[in-house]
Amino acid sequence: MPVAMSKERWLQCLGSTLWPSFLAAAVASVVFFASIDPETLRMQTLPDWDMSRMAGYTIGFFMFWAVGLFSSSLTYLLSGGGNRRHE
Amino acid sequence: MSKREDKVEFDVGMYAAREKIHPREVDGTFQRLRHLAVIVLLGIYYGLPWITWDGRQAVLFDLPARQFHIFALTFWPQDFVYLALLLILAALSLFFFTALAGRMWCGYACPQTVWTEAFMWMERWTEGKRQQRLKLDKSPWTASKFLRRGSKHVLWVVFALYTGFTFVGYFTPIRELSVSVATFGLGPWETFWLLFYAFATWGNAGFLREQVCIYMCPYARFQSAMFDPNSLIISYDEQRGEPRGGRSRNIDHRAHGLGDCIDCNLCVQACPTGIDIRDGLQYECIACAACIDACDSVMDKMNYPRGLIRYTTDNAMEGKPSHILRPRIVIYAVLLLALMAGTAYSLTQRTPLAMEVLADRNVLYRDVDFETVENIYTVRILNKDREARDYVLSVDGLPGAEVVTRPEHIRVDAGGTGQVTASVRVPREEARGTGHSIELRLQATDDEAIQRTNTARFHGPREE
Ligand code: SF4
Ligand code: SF4
Repeated sequence: MPVAMSKERWLQCLGSTLWPSFLAAAVASVVFFASIDPETLRMQTLPDWDMSRMAGYTIGFFMFWAVGLFSSSLTYLLSGGGNRRHE
Repeated sequence: MSKREDKVEFDVGMYAAREKIHPREVDGTFQRLRHLAVIVLLGIYYGLPWITWDGRQAVLFDLPARQFHIFALTFWPQDFVYLALLLILAALSLFFFTALAGRMWCGYACPQTVWTEAFMWMERWTEGKRQQRLKLDKSPWTASKFLRRGSKHVLWVVFALYTGFTFVGYFTPIRELSVSVATFGLGPWETFWLLFYAFATWGNAGFLREQVCIYMCPYARFQSAMFDPNSLIISYDEQRGEPRGGRSRNIDHRAHGLGDCIDCNLCVQACPTGIDIRDGLQYECIACAACIDACDSVMDKMNYPRGLIRYTTDNAMEGKPSHILRPRIVIYAVLLLALMAGTAYSLTQRTPLAMEVLADRNVLYRDVDFETVENIYTVRILNKDREARDYVLSVDGLPGAEVVTRPEHIRVDAGGTGQVTASVRVPREEARGTGHSIELRLQATDDEAIQRTNTARFHGPREE
């Protein structure tokens, strides 16, 4: 591993982790929330919380994003992304 | 700047800190077309939320209410199939256009390109043309540099914030939203998404620019799979251009053994992704056609025919004929048309009513009296229309069956849901055995066309 990643490589790293997981999260949120109303979910799990639907959507989206980010980062790491040159 | 220098700058950019690319401004047919596309697309984006239709925002994705309004149409979570259809349509069109016209999407319609272009205009207004910008980059921090840079960033930030505001305006009625912004009464989620989208726009269009295309865009990576030798690409005519080299305007360059390329490097300077199209088709190329316009202007000055760099196909480059109609195109086109027609048809056939029938899980059947047995169902009604309606329920499928609901006329508000308990009564003799199929039909009282039928199971006493 290089001591410090160049700005370029950082960008590449972010580009290949943050971004695909963002896309996946967007698709997952749409599919998920089209069939499931966050309101119902809240009623069944945390009925005493006061949470709007918007909050539900946002939290859901970021949860999907976090999961995707985790997976993308692992993929990046395992495929030697940090050491690879752009060819 | 010589060719080598440009090339080195780019290569270095790949490994070390990247040099900012300052594309040279060019004018020409394609650039004018692109500007038109930018203006039209941004006009649609910023204008659409302000259009009113039937007394409410024409295009509104009302997430809190779980309804999407698009002009005369309203979509519900139950209409998810249309969203899926839309995505399939979008993917198919992308295949179709890529096979036909290459990366047209990238050059003319991709939001990344469109917003980058808008941001570059602002950069040009404040920091000047390419040469001035290059100089400004190197110059020390004088008052004038401060002013130019500062005004660029102010413009960018304001524009990005407005973009974010518009984005949220697709989800929260934009007129209300502007009032909340003006009175500092914006809700936390709206604030968050506004800033999020503004930040993404500002970062992508102001700073990342071509790097989004090169490092982040999935389409850029797989579009080549949709290409064939008949797809439109932007290409440099090597046959005609080489050997390249400088020359005076008046000589007969052919006699001196030179091709048409004068090696002025304008095409490289114009390229927003910093590549040299003369090295052949590269995946970094977003098909913006800036190099075509740059080169055509040079060809005009030299009195050479235009089109040394041009839209062409692999086949044409090799002197073979290009075919527009080929199996791939025809198949995509037929699929696309069929799907569009199907979607349009089913949209016109949509009934603004949905119902769900759930059988009572606790009791299979109940005796009403000696002659009659009954089954209980919960019927959920969703009125997808824009006005409140009364509905009546009827049953079919078993002789002598009748249904009782209380009240008989079930009223459901516009866009609302209603729930009613329905008991279906059938003469004992007809009801023997389990699992009869019955049909429950919900009918609007004031409109024949609005009705829904669901099948349900009816259970009676065992056969004797
Ligand atoms: S090579 Fe030409 S068409 Fe491709 S991105 Fe550069 S300027 Fe645009
Ligand atoms: S703009 Fe045209 S003439 Fe100039 S270097 Fe490029 S290809 Fe050659």
